[in-house]
Amino acid sequence: MSTATAILAEGLVKHFTPEIRAVDGIDLSIEEGCIFGFLGPNGSGKTTTVRMLTTLLRPTAGRAEVGGLDVERQAGEVRRRIGVALQEAGLDDLQTGRELLHLQGRLYALDLGHVKRRASHLLDVVDLAQDADRAIKTYSGGMKRRLDLAAALMHEPKIVFLDEPTTGLDPISREAIWSEVRRLNADEKVTFFLTTQYLEEADRLADELAIMNHGHIVAEGTPQRLKAEIGTDVVTVRIERSEAERVRAAELLRGLDGSEDVRTLEDSVVVYIREGRRAIARIVLLLDESAIQVDEVSLTHPTLDDVFLRKTGQHIVDAATAAEADSS
Amino acid sequence: MNALLSTFHLMNRGLREAMRQPGVELTNIFIPMFFFAVTVGAIGSVAGMAFGVDNFLAFQMPVAILQAVAGTSGSAGLGTVTDIERGYFDKLLLTPAPRISLLLGRLSADAVRAMGLTVLILLAGLAAGSGMEAGIIGIAAILVLTGLFGLAYSAIGMAIALRTGSPQAAQLSFLIFFPLLFLSPAFAPKEIFAGWLEFLATINPVTYILQGMRHLILEGWSWGSFAGALGSILGLGAFTMTMSFAALRWRTS
Repeated sequence: MSTATAILAEGLVKHFTPEIRAVDGIDLSIEEGCIFGFLGPNGSGKTTTVRMLTTLLRPTAGRAEVGGLDVERQAGEVRRRIGVALQEAGLDDLQTGRELLHLQGRLYALDLGHVKRRASHLLDVVDLAQDADRAIKTYSGGMKRRLDLAAALMHEPKIVFLDEPTTGLDPISREAIWSEVRRLNADEKVTFFLTTQYLEEADRLADELAIMNHGHIVAEGTPQRLKAEIGTDVVTVRIERSEAERVRAAELLRGLDGSEDVRTLEDSVVVYIREGRRAIARIVLLLDESAIQVDEVSLTHPTLDDVFLRKTGQHIVDAATAAEADSS
Repeated sequence: MNALLSTFHLMNRGLREAMRQPGVELTNIFIPMFFFAVTVGAIGSVAGMAFGVDNFLAFQMPVAILQAVAGTSGSAGLGTVTDIERGYFDKLLLTPAPRISLLLGRLSADAVRAMGLTVLILLAGLAAGSGMEAGIIGIAAILVLTGLFGLAYSAIGMAIALRTGSPQAAQLSFLIFFPLLFLSPAFAPKEIFAGWLEFLATINPVTYILQGMRHLILEGWSWGSFAGALGSILGLGAFTMTMSFAALRWRTS
């Protein structure tokens, strides 16, 4: 039996000016019941994509469907079917948590009795029952995020967009949100579109993943498959002395047996190599014979950051820093 | 039906917000009451001789009312900017509530607040001896006019807030009110104005709102005066609501 498509994008583009191409032609096809991770550094176009898919922003070109409905022509119906928690927990500080949920439910035309029951249930679920009647301005950042998630779920949507839901949260709050996402996905078959800049979050939560950079999708697949595609171990050799030494080391390591790719970074050289455990000795020996001073050597299995590095030539954190520098 | 219900729920939210910021309402009532008292105290005794207005307290009461209403409009814009800055406006845009409700909800709350302040000013004026020739009907008519003027005038603050997203700009609507007030017969009948000022007062909608309210207080019920005031408010409202919708369309494009 084939699974229906929950979210579809074809050639989706958003240009704010001819120079600012936030999203530059992306295609997505996300099945119902999936937790889809949208990973990328700040400024890569994740939030703009979410804003287009949730009807907040009109695409410059291309088209998108959510729940089988066109996001431009059937925007009102799309809004009825989705739940959204945006990057900044969009709340009204002067209301209490319970009042905010009640208003949210009433704006979806739910009857008052149902709204009250649903709000109480969700306040329990996100562990805010004790604080429900306090003004939101007294809530911590984690409490606001949890309340925002509850607001997004008030009308029991089957497709939920979470834009960086755990950014800035402490590990306990982060874990609480992850477990709620998993529970809703498993028990209520809710499809999640979750943007994140955290590798661990994408790795642990997402069934499927797209990696975004500079408005383009640079890799797509399950986290396991993306990491397996690298097909090698990752040996990182820290060489602090000079750029010239790192370039020379990279040249030497490219010729090493089993070496599939070599990348030069700010203070190190990364070697993608088969059977990395055995290769370490050969790497150190080769560099030592060439009088290159090695400060540290580490061996890891591929991570999503390695996938990003392989596709873009940058670590995800470095790409975020570069994007911030570009925008400032 | 959904639009009406959504407007009602958002109006309730606006009123809750107002009740939780009593300082804002105190400012909105203090400033007009202060000017009301000072103006009547300074000019009241000579107004009859100077320009033939014997009951200057009643003559000034509509000015205080309109000042209070204009004050609430500044906070309407500010409230919208706060929603935009906090991301709550996006949250509201993501609900299926009709767009018109997002505007009318807050504007209706401002209209109710404006009527509340009007009741206080009317009570103060009546207690001080202004009188009300049109009786209870006059009070009801003034409340209707005030509510509609609050709705229409707050839409200016809303339009500026939606277009700029700036808290400073959002309060401009209150400042815009002062030229409108001073270019109307706020402090003296326009018949004694210089020609150019009389012309400006004649094309100023605030003139007809003031005259309509004054007629109810000083002379009694008149369909003509009430219709003049109502027509001015509706004309102003058509213009300001169009601006607000255009600003909302711009923000969501």
